[in-house]
Amino acid sequence: MTEVAEPSSAPAPARTERTPRRAPAALPFSFVDRALVEGIADAHAEPGWLRADRLAALERFEALPVESNLLYTPYLDLRAASLDDAAPYTGLDGSMAGAVAPEGIAGLIEMREDGLAARSIDAKAAADGVRLLTLPELVATDEALARSLIDGAPLLPVQEKLAELSRAAWTAGIVVHVPAGVRVERPIVLRWSLGAPRTLVGRTLIILEDGAEATVVEELVANDAALPGAQALLSATTEIRLGAGARLAMASLQELGPDHVVFQQRRAEIGEGADLRWALAQLGGRLVRSRVDNVLAGDRSTVEQVEIVFGSDDQLHDLTSYTRHVGRDTTGQLLSKGVLLDRARTYMKGLIQIEKTAIGTDSFLGEFGMNLSRSARAVAIPSLEIDQPDCRRAAHASSVGPIDENQLFYLESRGIAPDDARKFIVLGFLEPVVARVPLEEAQDRLRDALEAKWAAGLATTGSATAA
Amino acid sequence: MTSTRDLVQDERDQFAFHDDIVYLRETKRGLTRDTVEEISRFKEEPEWMLQYRLRAYDHFLKRTMPTWTEGLTDIDFDKIVYYRKPSEREEKSWDDVPEQIKKTFEKLGIPEAERKFLAGVGAQYDSEVVYHSVREELSNIGVVFMGTDQALKEHPEIFRKYFGTVVPAEDNKFAALNAAVWSGGSFVYVPKGVEVPLPLQAYFRINGENTGQFERTLIVVDEGAKVHYIEGCTAPIYATDSLHAAVVEVVALAGSKVRYTTIQNWSNDVYNLVTKRAHAYARSTVEWVDANTGSKKTVKYPAIYLRGEGATAEVISVAVAGRGQHQDTGAKAVHLAPNTTSRIVSKSVSKDGGRATYRGQLKVSPGATGVTASVRCDALMLDDQSRSDTYPYIDINEDDTTMTHEATVGKVSAEQVFYLMSRGLTENEATNLIVQGFLEVFTKELPMEYAIEFNRLVKLEMEGSLG
Repeated sequence: MTEVAEPSSAPAPARTERTPRRAPAALPFSFVDRALVEGIADAHAEPGWLRADRLAALERFEALPVESNLLYTPYLDLRAASLDDAAPYTGLDGSMAGAVAPEGIAGLIEMREDGLAARSIDAKAAADGVRLLTLPELVATDEALARSLIDGAPLLPVQEKLAELSRAAWTAGIVVHVPAGVRVERPIVLRWSLGAPRTLVGRTLIILEDGAEATVVEELVANDAALPGAQALLSATTEIRLGAGARLAMASLQELGPDHVVFQQRRAEIGEGADLRWALAQLGGRLVRSRVDNVLAGDRSTVEQVEIVFGSDDQLHDLTSYTRHVGRDTTGQLLSKGVLLDRARTYMKGLIQIEKTAIGTDSFLGEFGMNLSRSARAVAIPSLEIDQPDCRRAAHASSVGPIDENQLFYLESRGIAPDDARKFIVLGFLEPVVARVPLEEAQDRLRDALEAKWAAGLATTGSATAA
Repeated sequence: MTSTRDLVQDERDQFAFHDDIVYLRETKRGLTRDTVEEISRFKEEPEWMLQYRLRAYDHFLKRTMPTWTEGLTDIDFDKIVYYRKPSEREEKSWDDVPEQIKKTFEKLGIPEAERKFLAGVGAQYDSEVVYHSVREELSNIGVVFMGTDQALKEHPEIFRKYFGTVVPAEDNKFAALNAAVWSGGSFVYVPKGVEVPLPLQAYFRINGENTGQFERTLIVVDEGAKVHYIEGCTAPIYATDSLHAAVVEVVALAGSKVRYTTIQNWSNDVYNLVTKRAHAYARSTVEWVDANTGSKKTVKYPAIYLRGEGATAEVISVAVAGRGQHQDTGAKAVHLAPNTTSRIVSKSVSKDGGRATYRGQLKVSPGATGVTASVRCDALMLDDQSRSDTYPYIDINEDDTTMTHEATVGKVSAEQVFYLMSRGLTENEATNLIVQGFLEVFTKELPMEYAIEFNRLVKLEMEGSLG
């Protein structure tokens, strides 16, 4: 059924003057090698176990295919990325700015491709023992904890080449550690900013011990060093562990530049009775390949993941989510929504896995697309693999359609101009994620960004009105 | 309930017989270029067909084994006999059919079915059509219904015009294998405007250890014509693996209507790898009604390419996977023209460690405006040893498509069983009734005799598992 990609045949002798096109699954960069990895370990003066872990990851990186799940190999296309010149700085600048947390937040850390740009934590959180560190700082101050979190990569997605890339070649790392029973009232902001045609390879670790509660807002933004027309790469992992009864709300706003290539691998291990809420927005980037793994390991653990994509121009958003139910009476609620303008492409791949042990599972996966241009392409692959039938619910639903004419008619009948009505319907379609962003300021910025993108779509092609 | 069990055993025995046939002609085990040439020579085929077979053979060798579904690498192509001819010539009337073969068919109830209901019979006994009758009135209105080998000789123009156009030899590894060694199958041509009043039926049956069945069916329905084709399969039980790699091509010309119904009940040692595809032209309707209860592994996704404006596609796919079985089935709808409609309904039951997989593709190509498509998959798991997977691929390249997809997985509810048992049914009877109800969307589409037979098959499967 799905076409299995055949190895491309060699070009005919008569046409050798043409450079062969890169295969869709071929990596668009080649900076990763042993010298680089050793150089990074040297620059950080890392302990032997960490160096060994990087080298183990390098081996895995070299052995794995970009997509190890055969279900998804037909929908993999990295050709939009061209990162021949990409290379990370081996050692990052450790100097920092901004010692005071801005109003309304508990802490802030900003990481640029060339170093730590800002970091602050409010007095209350610090007094409670909340740690907001760089990963090298954690290795230096609490090697035992650092080792338990990163040696052997217990929190990374398995069989994932690009996660092994970050594990082998990370130069920047952020750690959020909330001790047992501590409730961080205000959001913690983690900002990754990317500019010049260099590479930022990073890791984020968020550890909530038993009964801890926190809210994290991740921002992926283009900084002033961004060069139009020159591609840059952000390859980053987010590794989350929630202890028993822990609660984490995690929002991520991806507003990178039009020439940025983003590889994101996120995985969360959710303990007994713990609760994780994702609100993910994908707006920027030339090529975005993202994977989220939720492992509902503990009994009665829950995850809610809401993700929106607003694609325009030639953007490709390639998004995969895995929800694995292991414990008893776990709940998974996943919702992906995409709006596509121009020649944008969105791949929404989702897999619910219900293991034999996962009695009493309630799992839902929804993937909904709105194509607003004739050249846009939405692919949805909402899959289920079920080994335990004793579940409360195991279902998925998916739809792709234009703007609902009835809704349009209703709004127009209330005196709203057609263009405005369309805008309201589209932004309303995406609102579920906006409303879940835990920081008001970030919510407003996301709404503005969505509106701006809509306006730009109207201005450049008029495609948004062509429905 | 010993009496029920005896009855069940009797019914099982009825289907598990094996006659000792003297094969008049058969090729040596294994597949070589010589085998392909030998088959073509046996059949006294025109040169173009020999060349076609050889090209397909080359492609078969080149093509790698699909890896997106498991277990196919167990097939030992060297152990298979690729061609057997049970009798020397095509039989025109029932009286001429050799006694031994006739006995086999009688056990399957073919003669009665013919008298009562059949419009024509094409019965495949191993690799050749041995018995074939077309009712006189059908011949009179120009309907051609005969063995595919015979059609190559008697209707060369129409044969060559359509053969291999819907499923090219290069389509996939098993289509290439079929194209290289095909033998038998049905050929149907319905002339312009002719409505065939009764279903055309063909009974297929494998006999003989390690016999490969590579039948090839070609159905051409001319403008405004209408036909319903039914195939059903039963097979004796053997210990070693058999391979059935069929290709079915359906051409539904403008304004025609075709329904193709299959009840697949191969014995549990057969690999059933079938490529079924239809081209639906303007305003035509193609319906695949497809049930799979037997075989060790079935890989089959009846496909419809909607090539003409206003064409309609419908697939009802049912699978029952028991011990040692993997039903990897589903459907494909490819919308290539405007204002086309497709509906896919899939129901699967898995039990006793069986695995039921739905794999489907829904594609809306650029230019196919005004498409309406829906997919509905429901899976029932009868125990926690079994597995159910759902892998739908939805690929939308137009902005005014209306597509919905829904899937659910569940078990037989204890409440329903309790209710039925309180009305005097045993637990087995209650479960059986619930499963039959679950599959009714399929059963109700069958002619009455088939519906009865299908329910009996399901009952056999259920009794076998629970008794």
